[in-house]
Amino acid sequence: MAGLLPNLRTPACGGLLTRWVALCSFSKRGVALRAVVSARRAPYCSSTEAGKAGSMMELMSVDRQFEEFRLQLEESGAVRERLRAIVSELDSATRLMQAQLLLIHHSRPSPEILSKIKAHTEGLRSIYGQLAEVLKSVPAQYYRYHDHWRNQTYTVVFLLAFIHWLETGGLLSHGDAAALLGLKDGEFGLDLEDYLVGLCNLSNELPRYVVNQVTTGDYDCAKRASVFLSDLYAAFRMLNLRNDLLRKRFDGMKYDLKKVEEVLYDVKIRGLLSDTTPTSAAES
Amino acid sequence: MYEKRERLVKASRDVTMYSKKVIFQVHRLNSKNKESVLEQAERDLANVKMDHVTRVAKELQGSEFWKFRRAYTPGMQEYVEAAAFLEFCKNGRLLTLDDLNESFAELKDASSNDFQLNLLDYLLGVGDLTGELMRLAISSVTDGEVDSAKSICNFVRSLYMSLSLISQEVDDSWEMKQKMEVMLQSLMKIENTCYTVHVRGSEYFPGAVLENIEGQRMEDN
Repeated sequence: MAGLLPNLRTPACGGLLTRWVALCSFSKRGVALRAVVSARRAPYCSSTEAGKAGSMMELMSVDRQFEEFRLQLEESGAVRERLRAIVSELDSATRLMQAQLLLIHHSRPSPEILSKIKAHTEGLRSIYGQLAEVLKSVPAQYYRYHDHWRNQTYTVVFLLAFIHWLETGGLLSHGDAAALLGLKDGEFGLDLEDYLVGLCNLSNELPRYVVNQVTTGDYDCAKRASVFLSDLYAAFRMLNLRNDLLRKRFDGMKYDLKKVEEVLYDVKIRGLLSDTTPTSAAES
Repeated sequence: MYEKRERLVKASRDVTMYSKKVIFQVHRLNSKNKESVLEQAERDLANVKMDHVTRVAKELQGSEFWKFRRAYTPGMQEYVEAAAFLEFCKNGRLLTLDDLNESFAELKDASSNDFQLNLLDYLLGVGDLTGELMRLAISSVTDGEVDSAKSICNFVRSLYMSLSLISQEVDDSWEMKQKMEVMLQSLMKIENTCYTVHVRGSEYFPGAVLENIEGQRMEDN
């Protein structure tokens, strides 16, 4: 037992020792050790003041370090708390937009529906502004907190890209999407992966849209969607995706394309397409 | 307490079972037997209410209503589903929570407890309704009633839209989320059916679409 003591280098006051040991979570052993220490106090208590100070220093540095940890964690906890509050706003905004977007499945998309949804973009911009403001207080930690707004951002990108496609028949570029949301690279940007997953969501939505449009009598919609989707699919294939979420979502895209092509086939074989090959901008 | 829970689970299971029978009864519906089928279903549903929902109501007093909710919620959901399904087939509208609770008012005498259906069970039950409507839509297309499929489709769409706005707020958000996903699946199945009828229907039903298409197809072949 005595052999243990020199290892500890701290034949000092029993209370401190127990505390030290407890910190190392050897509390049970600590009790035993203290007994040994008090028994052996007489011969060892003659150790130098320097040794005592050293042990105190060590204790304090442990304490100080953990105190620092606590502060740091509390700080990031507070940041997360603020982010959560903002993201829940973002969440309800996107949910509202999505519900309004459901109306386009009911009938032909009217400009009113679209402009109503687009009116929310302003609100989104301000919400992303708030997020950026919070992130400014913790520079260069964008990806530490990224998970908070990630899912919502997919949906936002999907909504914007879908509206853009409905209006122009073209693809909303990454830069344009970021600009619509008032995001700038360098500080609080639109993550490229978020953008791409958002496009995958768009692809998932198209089959349903096409089916419903054809049902309401807009047969050329199938043609437009098929052209767009196969372009998008071809573009995605150029990317060298690794085995992750984006890759999985991309894998699902081919089924969307297949479904849209089936609809196009159905429509075409029955001669329902209009003769003039529709240009993508024809509707707007 | 455990016995009470057991009794509730048993009663809930019976409610589920007999409500399912009502649903099957309604599914027998077609254009010819509408009246008699619905009448029968209505009688069955009233029996379920008197015989089995009363048993649930008898057990619950005051705070036990929420305490044992887990024990009886499946039965209530199924009952809501059956009642709402019947109401839709009869009047083509959504059965409201107030309607249901009004119909439960008479249970008060039978059970001496003021039994009310809670909002959660109602929403979850309505969530299940879509699945039945999907089957109804498909069978009505088989019967050649394309318009009724279309009206079901629109009904489900508006139902889905309203629910999607509040689904996040529901207490059992996870359970509701599952139901929303299933609901969207069912909705898409109905939409696909409507689509198929619309595009290919011209080959089976006279009138709707251009007549020369058939001829064109022959030439192509």
